[in-house]
Parts: sequence; C-alpha cells; structure tokens
Amino acid sequence: MLEPTSQGASSAPCAAAAVTHARFPGLARRLPWLVLALLAAFPLLAPAFGLEYYVGFVRRVLIVAIAATSLNFILGYGGMAALGHAGFIGVGAYTVVALVEAGFSSAWLAWGSAALVAGLAAAAIGAVSLRTRGVYFIMITLAFAQMLYYLAVSLRTWGGDDGYGLYTPLELGAWLDGAHAQVFYWVVLAIAAAVFALFSRVAHSRYGHALRGIRDNEMRMVALGYPVYGLKLAGFVAAGAVAGLAGGLLASHNAFVSPSIMHWTQSALLLVMVMLGGAGRRWGAPLGVALWLTLEEVLKLYTDYWHWPLGLLLLLVVFHAPQGVAALLERRGGREGAR
Amino acid sequence: MSLFTAEGLVKRFGGLLATDHVDLAVDAGEIHALIGPNGAGKSTLVNLISGLLPADAGRIVLDGVDLTVLAPHARTRAGLARCFQITSVFRNDSVRDNLLLAVQAQAGSSFRCLSRRDAEHALQERAEALAQRAGLAEVLERNAGTLPHGLQKRLDLALALAARPKLLLLDEPMAGMGPEDSQQMVGLIRSLRRETAILLIEHDMDAVFQLADRISVLVYGKVLTSGDAAHVKGHAEVQAVYLGTEVAT
Repeated sequence: MLEPTSQGASSAPCAAAAVTHARFPGLARRLPWLVLALLAAFPLLAPAFGLEYYVGFVRRVLIVAIAATSLNFILGYGGMAALGHAGFIGVGAYTVVALVEAGFSSAWLAWGSAALVAGLAAAAIGAVSLRTRGVYFIMITLAFAQMLYYLAVSLRTWGGDDGYGLYTPLELGAWLDGAHAQVFYWVVLAIAAAVFALFSRVAHSRYGHALRGIRDNEMRMVALGYPVYGLKLAGFVAAGAVAGLAGGLLASHNAFVSPSIMHWTQSALLLVMVMLGGAGRRWGAPLGVALWLTLEEVLKLYTDYWHWPLGLLLLLVVFHAPQGVAALLERRGGREGAR
Repeated sequence: MSLFTAEGLVKRFGGLLATDHVDLAVDAGEIHALIGPNGAGKSTLVNLISGLLPADAGRIVLDGVDLTVLAPHARTRAGLARCFQITSVFRNDSVRDNLLLAVQAQAGSSFRCLSRRDAEHALQERAEALAQRAGLAEVLERNAGTLPHGLQKRLDLALALAARPKLLLLDEPMAGMGPEDSQQMVGLIRSLRRETAILLIEHDMDAVFQLADRISVLVYGKVLTSGDAAHVKGHAEVQAVYLGTEVAT
C-alpha cells in the first residue's frame, strides 16, 4: 500500500474543516467543497509550484483514504475492530490482476469487479467472523486475511511472491483516455469524494443509527428487536466491497500488485490511521490517512529511522486525544462531535 | 387459555440446575409477579424467556406463537419485550435518540440507508408520545447517561414499550430506587395494564403486593407456589424460605 513520494496538500484543509466550524458556521458548511476544489485544482497548480512529484502522492492518500473510510464505517460506527481489512484491498487488487491476465482492459469493469469480488469475500468471511466478539473477532479477521495473503503468495500465475506488473494502464474509455496526463487522479478524487459523501449520508440514516446502537449496546439492540447479526454483516460487506474498490485503484496506481498489499501489518496500519484521525468521526479516516502518510513522507526526507517519531506521535495521540485528531479539532472548535 | 405459557423450562450451568422444570402462565391484562430470594434463578428465567440464554428444555408460547425456536430479536418482534435489571440504555445519546432507536426497530426496515432518519416525522411523533407516556417529556434532549437513576429506569421501560409488546418482562424495575421514584414507577406500571400483560420480577414487596394479580414464588429454580397475594402471604413454606418474619409480624 505504501510507496515513496512526498508531502501532500490534503491534510491541512481537512484539519481546518473542523476548526472553523464554530467560528464561521457558513464557512464550515462550504469547507468540504473548498477542500474538494483545492484537491481538484491541485494537478493543474502543482507544476507552477514545482510540486508535480506530489500529485501521485495525493492520489495515493486519496486511495488509502477510501479504504480507511470503509474501515472507519465498521470500526467507528459499527464497533467491529476488523484486523483484516487489507485482505479485502488485496482481493480487489488481485481481481484487477486476474482480469488483466485474462485479457480485459476496461478500468471500470476491473474496479467494479474488484468491489464485487471483495464484497463477496467479505460476505463469506463476515458470516463466520461476526459470530464472534471482541478479541476473537480481531483474531479471526486477522486469520482470514493471512489466509488470503498466503493464497496470493502461492498463486504462481499471478506472480506469487514476486508480484505482478500491470504494464499497460487500464482503459477509462470514451474521451477520458489521453484527455490529460492526470485524468486518473481526477477519477480517484471523484470516487473518493463519492465514497466519503455516501458513508457520511448513511451515518445519519436509519441504518447508521442502528449500527451505532449496536456499537454502544448490542444486547439492548437485540432486546429492541433488531436483527443485529444481519445489520452488522451488511455493514461488513459494504466496507469490504469499498476496500476492494480501493484495492483495484491501488493496483492501477502502483501498476503493480504483490501479496504484501494484504499483509496483516497493512491491516494494522489502516487501523492505526483511522484511530489517529478519530474512529467514528466523519473526518476521522481522511484526516488520519493524510496526517500519517504526510508525516511519513516528510520524516523519510530527514531520517531512515522515521518509525520513531511516528511511534511517539501515536503515543501522544493515545494519551492526549484518545478519540483521535478529528475529535480534538472538534473540541477546539467548541463544537459537539459531528458523528 | 393464557396469553403466555412457559412449560417445563430447564437450564443447567454445569452441575447447577438453575431452572428446574418451570411452568408459568400469564393471562391477558394480568400482572404476574415472580418473587424469590437471591439466587433463586429469577434473572435466568427472564433470560430464558427473552432468549438471551438458550434453554436446555421446555417450550414458550406467546399468543399462539411458539417462541422457543425464535432468536431473541425475533421474540421481540413477536410481541415479547423486556427491561433490564441493570439499566440498559444508550448512555451517550439523548433521550430522544434513545426513543427514536427503539421506535425505529418497529417501524419498517432498519436497512434503509440513504434518507435522514431524524427527518421522519412519524418516528419523531412516536418517540415524543412515548416520552410523554413515561414521564420523560421534559428531559428529551438530555443525555441518557446524565439522568438520575429513576429516570433512567423509566427510559429503560419506555424503550421496551416501543415494541408495543403483548407481554412485557420487567426485571426489577424498582431496583435501587428510593420510595418516591418507586411509587411513581408503580403508577406507571399500573397504567400499562390495559396495553400489555406483565411479568414482573421484583424484590420490593410493597410494590409487588400493590401491583400483582398473581404471584409465583421461585426457590432454587423451582416454582414453589403460585397464587394471589393472600395465598402467597399465607403459604407456610413461602414464609419460611422467603418472607420470613416480615409477614409474620
């Protein structure tokens, strides 16, 4: 999931989104659009500031943010601490590989299939895993993801341990191909924005309220007559499918897929980013991803031991903002949590 | 013909027979109290009936529907709602959100995921009506966790009422209450008589004798006797194992 590049433009505006809520209510409503506009303009503005190099970085941040947003949905809203989310990213990525290997070249077909197949995998894995709770759920999702990892390692036709290179980019179709060098960036941005908007909307629906109810008091939800298992499974499948979509996009972004994309450390990293940003907060996932990846890139410029300061940052967050950075910003803004 | 019957309910925890072939019946409109000393298996029985614990044997029928094979949430849908001995509300949400969540469970699908729930007027109205009913109208916007104990208990009851139950299981609704709150709760429960039958588990004997049409006494997982207040008060064995000197005086 992680590949080298540097410093993104996306973290600062997101952070400001929460801060300005209280003092400038009008601005607060417009800020997501402002962020979106800035991100959309970035590839056009970047050359003027000599930042072309970072367009790819922001694109990666956006893709990882898609996956993190889906994880935030089941972790933060659904209370399901899944430690196998990278497994679904991997299923999505390998679906793209399989289709390319079979001779298909449509990007939409590949990414759509990535989401579909990952959703099916999530349905099978969730059906079993969601019969457990707490630590057992963490362990069983981890185990399933590792099984997928070793499956990918053993699949010689798709590169096995060495990975699989996607040498020709997938075709977007119509006028999109060749319209601009950065057209893939805008496609990713549009998908990320749509996913973010969709999950934000679902959070306030009946389903979103029910999911939070299950997180807060599962036994009471059962007593109220909610089909808790089915509700959780639906969320798990949706999150898996979106993670698969992110995996498909990541395959295109890297033009390469290897089993390491779904190693359990990637699942853990995704969890860390969501917690850092704020699990169960609307802006938690994109904030966490942007902050973590940006810091990682910046620190890499100065030291080979960049894990150290990131670890310290994590400790700081755990002790001073256990609800994540988004919660901290909301509090600073003097505003109740935007859940 | 009773509205609700439990026949031959058995629950074992290892070597312990927590529920020993219990038969129980509740008629429509009846308040049936279940009393018994600590450890008699009252809460186990409530959990067996509501389905949170699987029974080892026995059969549960509500209004002609066999609940035995149904999952706990399906039992609620079939008309069996419950309260919890240890107050079980959504502590970080407002009373309104608590009630909305309870009402929503009974009004169409909770898989609806695109329209804003809080904009549904029918749900809001039902939630407000419930609040009125349970005396919570004044604290609608307060966080449930910040309410005094008595009000939290009432909220717990209101959540169960949202299911429009045919039978309501109340597991110690007066637990930890002072006399004043307790008396209000008695009034509230009495007012429910016309809507639902009630199986009331309670330690507060004053409340039980005020409310119950029939009382069953549970000792060591077995129903010792069943009858009206006078019968139970006069029952020699009940006096010995449970009421002791309190009634004798």
